[in-house]
Amino acid sequence: MSSVHSDPLPSRPAARPRPAHDKYTTQKLAIALGIAAVIAAALAGIQIGTSGATLIDVLQTFWAKITGTVPTDRASLLMHNVIWELRLPRVLLAILGGAALAIAGTLFQGLLRNPLVSPYTLGIAPAAAFGASLAIVVFGATAGSAAISLVIGALIFSFLNTALVLSLASTRNLHATTLILVGIALSQLFGALTACIQYFAEDEVLAAIVRWTWGSVNNSAWYQVLVLFLLLAIAFPYIRFRSSALNAIAFAGDDSAKSLGVAVSTVRLQTIAIAATLTAVTIAFTGIIGFVGLVAPHIARLVVGANHRFLIAFSAIIGALLLVISDAVGRLVITPGVIPVGIIDALVGAPIFLYLILTRQKAIE
Amino acid sequence: MTLRISSLEVGYGKRQVVKGASLKVEKGELVGLLGSNGSGKSTLIKTIAGINSQTSGSITWNDGTDLTKLSRRDLAKIVAYVPQSIGLSFGLDIREAVLLGRTPYFGTKPRDEDWAHVEAAMQRMGLDELGDRSVTELSGGQGQRVLIARALAQDPEILLLDEPTSALDIRYQWQTLEVARDVTRKNNVAAIIAIHDLNQAARFTDRVIFLQDGVVIANGRPADVYSPDLIKRVYGVDVELSVHKGFVQVHPLSERDHSRLGLNATTPDIGHLRRPAEQRDRVTA
Repeated sequence: MSSVHSDPLPSRPAARPRPAHDKYTTQKLAIALGIAAVIAAALAGIQIGTSGATLIDVLQTFWAKITGTVPTDRASLLMHNVIWELRLPRVLLAILGGAALAIAGTLFQGLLRNPLVSPYTLGIAPAAAFGASLAIVVFGATAGSAAISLVIGALIFSFLNTALVLSLASTRNLHATTLILVGIALSQLFGALTACIQYFAEDEVLAAIVRWTWGSVNNSAWYQVLVLFLLLAIAFPYIRFRSSALNAIAFAGDDSAKSLGVAVSTVRLQTIAIAATLTAVTIAFTGIIGFVGLVAPHIARLVVGANHRFLIAFSAIIGALLLVISDAVGRLVITPGVIPVGIIDALVGAPIFLYLILTRQKAIE
Repeated sequence: MTLRISSLEVGYGKRQVVKGASLKVEKGELVGLLGSNGSGKSTLIKTIAGINSQTSGSITWNDGTDLTKLSRRDLAKIVAYVPQSIGLSFGLDIREAVLLGRTPYFGTKPRDEDWAHVEAAMQRMGLDELGDRSVTELSGGQGQRVLIARALAQDPEILLLDEPTSALDIRYQWQTLEVARDVTRKNNVAAIIAIHDLNQAARFTDRVIFLQDGVVIANGRPADVYSPDLIKRVYGVDVELSVHKGFVQVHPLSERDHSRLGLNATTPDIGHLRRPAEQRDRVTA
């Protein structure tokens, strides 16, 4: 502490060269490698499946679509259709959905300053499940034409839930604990409502509801990929722009963040709305995929640190990787059957997570 | 250069906490804010920092700038706030924790100038060796130094410390106070520190202000202001005063002390620090 007394400090120090660690080389490298890994996993994921496509087939399909040519022989045409209409949307939905849930998880954990928080803490998942269940009851248990009604049912109740949580908690200045408690209350409420439906439902309706809650990318469609992509394309730059405000809220606390010039309530409201939208839209398309939104941010934090400037992007990468790999594994283990990605991601992710928790010094405390 | 607060009123809902407080602090001066729990110290400090907003009254700086009219960001370039150390769930490394102090100055990406302020603040607080450690690994005293370094990186003209020593052991309390006084002098800021320990306040601050029930009831050099009367009024405690190495010191008394130790209440007063007759009578009785 002697240096505290002896060092004279010019009140406006001259700029000097930054030490190497301030260039965030590790973080940037991790993000670059992560993106490469996602692309590699995606290409592998497209090939996996019952009709045994090769990498050449995949690339040929891309080329055909780019140039607008249609293959003449039936076999290639079928292959192209399988890749373009089934594999590609499925893999892309896994990537975008994983990224969206991971980003939402990162935002919720940071904003509520709580490592146990997931995208579902505010009760979005039970609300979506209730919406989907209602749609199944009303429009019948068969998929196909009912799929869009499931999406809409889940979306309506997700947004209703989010609006309720935010308006109830804003009477208490959106304090973290209030938000979490209101979320818990609404989770219980929607859980009970869904249980009511299940209790009185026919067997096939019950089965359809349960299947929805497992969460999978089996019913992926291009419009879903497009919607999620656009959503992320708008949300990500905004969140990145807010990264230093997020850092202040997450690491300094509300009062200090305000004293650092951050409009805490505004930022929290906007960012939670974004995180909730990402979550709601994703699970409306996929059903409830657990684990990734809770754990991807932690895995990312262990690798690139807690600074949101890099954490958000890297979380998204980890989330995307986790889901795209889990989906591939889910299609491999019981071919030609498919285990839903929502089940596999916990099976694959939990051991990785445990390994990181126990081996890293930078503990999650 | 003066921080001037006039007839400040602050409340939460219907409850008024600060009720017409007026005070001023000069540049280079460290002022201790004293008062019992709930007297409005914290609220007053948070209002100057823009965390709470006032019901009425004014806060001006430099004889003109109305701090209550500034944008949050501009205010943060003038006023820095050091909270009590808080528990952290996720660990930034120390350098990044100090960088938070530059939040009002940069957008997404810190500039070289921001890093220069961070390095200087860390050096100032003796943290330069610890830069890459996670804040979750730090002791309470180090954690408090990080918070002060963050405030210094903010390059403030007004420094507010809200009971920065409450969670620390005596060694770190002492360090923190030395640092606070040092920074006040060398960076030439106007500083207010809310503090519970009257002896430490007497030892380190230039001036003390007693708040009671949201109103300033005493204001001046500790040696001039401290009196058994005032302290009884503010804290409800009987005390004796002494002078140690030129600083006035406060010694709380209790009935039991008198009977057990055979002390009587006519202990000689020191210099001008005189206990009033009525109180002497009460203690004897």
